[in-house]
Amino acid sequence: MKEGKGAGGGNDIQWCFSQVKGAVDDDVAEADIISTVEFNHSGELLATGDKGGRVVIFQQEQENKIQSHSRGEYNVYSTFQSHEPEFDYLKSLEIEEKINKIRWLPQKNAAQFLLSTNDKTIKLWKISERDKRPEGYNLKEEDGRYRDPTTVTTLRVPVFRPMDLMVEASPRRIFANAHTYHINSISINSDYETYLSADDLRINLWHLEITDRSFNIVDIKPANMEELTEVITAAEFHPNSCNTFVYSSSKGTIRLCDMRASALCDRHSKLFEEPEDPSNRSFFSEIISSISDVKFSHSGRYMMTRDYLSVKIWDLNMENRPVETYQVHEYLRSKLCSLYENDCIFDKFECCWNGSDSVVMTGSYNNFFRMFDRNTKRDITLEASRENNKPRTVLKPRKVCASGKRKKDEISVDSLDFNKKILHTAWHPKENIIAVATTNNLYIFQDKVN
Amino acid sequence: MECALDAQSLISISLRKIHSSRTQRGGIKLHKNLLVSYVLRNARQLYLSERYAELYRRQQQQQQQQQQPPHHQHQHLAYAAPGMPASAADFGPLQLGGGGDAEAREPAARHQLHQLHQLHQLHLQQQLHQHQHPAPRGCAAAAAGAPAGGAGALSELPGCAALQPPHGAPHRGQPLEPLQPGPVPLPPPAPSALCPRDPRASAACSAPSAPPGAAPQAAAAASPPASPAPASSPGFYRGAYPTPSDFGVHCSSQTTVLDLDTHVVTTVENGYLHQDCCASAHCPCCGQGAPGPGLASAAGCKRKYYPGQEEDDDDDEDAGDLGAEPPGGAPFAPCKRARFEDFCPDSSPDASNISNLISIFGSGFSGLVSRQPDSSEQPPPLNGQLCAKQALASLGAWTRAIVAF
Repeated sequence: MKEGKGAGGGNDIQWCFSQVKGAVDDDVAEADIISTVEFNHSGELLATGDKGGRVVIFQQEQENKIQSHSRGEYNVYSTFQSHEPEFDYLKSLEIEEKINKIRWLPQKNAAQFLLSTNDKTIKLWKISERDKRPEGYNLKEEDGRYRDPTTVTTLRVPVFRPMDLMVEASPRRIFANAHTYHINSISINSDYETYLSADDLRINLWHLEITDRSFNIVDIKPANMEELTEVITAAEFHPNSCNTFVYSSSKGTIRLCDMRASALCDRHSKLFEEPEDPSNRSFFSEIISSISDVKFSHSGRYMMTRDYLSVKIWDLNMENRPVETYQVHEYLRSKLCSLYENDCIFDKFECCWNGSDSVVMTGSYNNFFRMFDRNTKRDITLEASRENNKPRTVLKPRKVCASGKRKKDEISVDSLDFNKKILHTAWHPKENIIAVATTNNLYIFQDKVN
Repeated sequence: MECALDAQSLISISLRKIHSSRTQRGGIKLHKNLLVSYVLRNARQLYLSERYAELYRRQQQQQQQQQQPPHHQHQHLAYAAPGMPASAADFGPLQLGGGGDAEAREPAARHQLHQLHQLHQLHLQQQLHQHQHPAPRGCAAAAAGAPAGGAGALSELPGCAALQPPHGAPHRGQPLEPLQPGPVPLPPPAPSALCPRDPRASAACSAPSAPPGAAPQAAAAASPPASPAPASSPGFYRGAYPTPSDFGVHCSSQTTVLDLDTHVVTTVENGYLHQDCCASAHCPCCGQGAPGPGLASAAGCKRKYYPGQEEDDDDDEDAGDLGAEPPGGAPFAPCKRARFEDFCPDSSPDASNISNLISIFGSGFSGLVSRQPDSSEQPPPLNGQLCAKQALASLGAWTRAIVAF
């Protein structure tokens, strides 16, 4: 979609089904559960990570100029095993291979680079294309066997010949042994030289070239672990200021830190916190106020946080309350008890901005996902389902009936499927293309192009 | 919000969750367990407030029947549960039943109330002493005080009044009052896996005068959370006071790990400078006196407790570095290599500290976060389900389990 159209509001544009990736059967293999989704900086590549430690990268086809009614499709570009399960012998702990986060580096040359992380180890992967192969060696046969030099009678110069495109992924750096607790975030600095990794209690700063050393910049571990009251849940660098980053906590606070202030950023520069509404107090207040994701807007002026029931937009210049709050599924507030019992209350939903920061999106249950238009203040609920399978089928808005009489086409809260949750969503940086991950499928939706 | 479950069920569900997290792949999830412990705390608060209310009502009935004024006004326990009248409910253990008749009539209630009150006393004494707050931030034994910065309505009930410690603020060396020993629902904790929670070790730590055998093994009954800091986990304090051998390295701003598998060496540089560390009064290597209380407040010194610097470890080449952390890195992890039994740190967590809950369940959750409960131990620890069920099976046991909070 071209710049002129603008990444429009959630309701102004019509979202259409484009593609779905993944197995069809209902029996979900645990290793196939998608755990992270991320577009690269141009939007041409879309990476997913799963619980089995694999990374799958999709590439958008070049737009067919003649058939301009749809944008290019995303097809598998590369698949590789990023992380393997490990065993920490010292602690007798198994380390899951699940990919927690993928972050792309901006492209500097022909190859693509991304960081992928599991609970303990971050890896820098180089994804490169190979479409030529050297042929005509003197001492090697074509199949690689060595020739007996005495049989060589003439010499030739090896040449490169075209071959089928091969995409190779190779680990270039492995950043290990720096996290005692589970890594929940990685974020690349705008200097494109350093990045941070955050676990429950600490944040480390790395240089992309240096793997044997990292710098601890935040440590909230109390001297006495019994005094532990909160953990770090997410962290991100500011998109423009290379000295600024934020981290969110399980208590619903966000701290903005300036690395110029001191080597150890235990003291925040800003603390963003909204006072709790005492009338909403419950057994589970602490759980639902825990922030599961924090994302800066592309402009860097705002940041968005996701807690269990809502999405909040914060102006970096105002610390005492968010400038906007959107209820994602307020009808769940009366169901917190059952959601606690079935562990759904611990689900960590992510959120994302569109390219122009005018719309935000996040997931919910029953394979629903929500978009909020910040300008029109309208919101929409859509469903990722194979039922709307035909490309360019416009998605029908959904509605959940909280209580009372259920209208036609509405779904009652009690019939929501809480096993079908959308935790990970991503928005193309420039166009109205979104990637929505259900448990083991990846849906791609586009706005309707006339 | 109405909850379909009562406090007891919530507590039992939460215990189950914590227990089952032991066996989950990937190690203990610190975040999730922290949140579950908040629910536990909240449910416990409600449960205790309800218990207090009920027992208070019984107490009132007794008094009315006896038509005797309460003799002793030692403690003024002001407690109000949500929904209760805000007027203070005065009673103390000695006020229960002015006469033998009442005792005969409600021995169980009196007994339980006594226990609850004892616990309350210990809690508040601790809190008053350490925090020097005239009014407890929370009510009663129910997690006195909210976690730092997170006071909720449940912990600020109207009517909670300042409590006069009956005998003045006790000093920390006061022996733990063992609660009524009774049938112990939980098996004794394993010594190795539970060294931090071993009441013997803790008793020795906190109260040298306390008879080692005073506290029955089951931490639930024996270690009232009122003495959370010393009782629970010397292992956790291994970072608080570096042993002499650490002096040489404690100001180091680096942590180095050797991966035994890949032989990769990684260094994490801590974000503080030597001069920051030594500027603090708590810096032992600069010879500025013994570390004092409130260690957590010295942000610079916090760094010296970075894993690896604290332990004069086994001969592991990697300095047991990050491996020195409790298994899974969770606060509930008993430290298998606790070494600091000799000292009793002064710093005391809030009575509402999360891991108090867990440490109290002691043997019921022995190696709660340990992935490998030593099979060489005593009988396998009960899982959370059994513990809760047993606890719930009888009112007395339940009270003891709750009192142990």
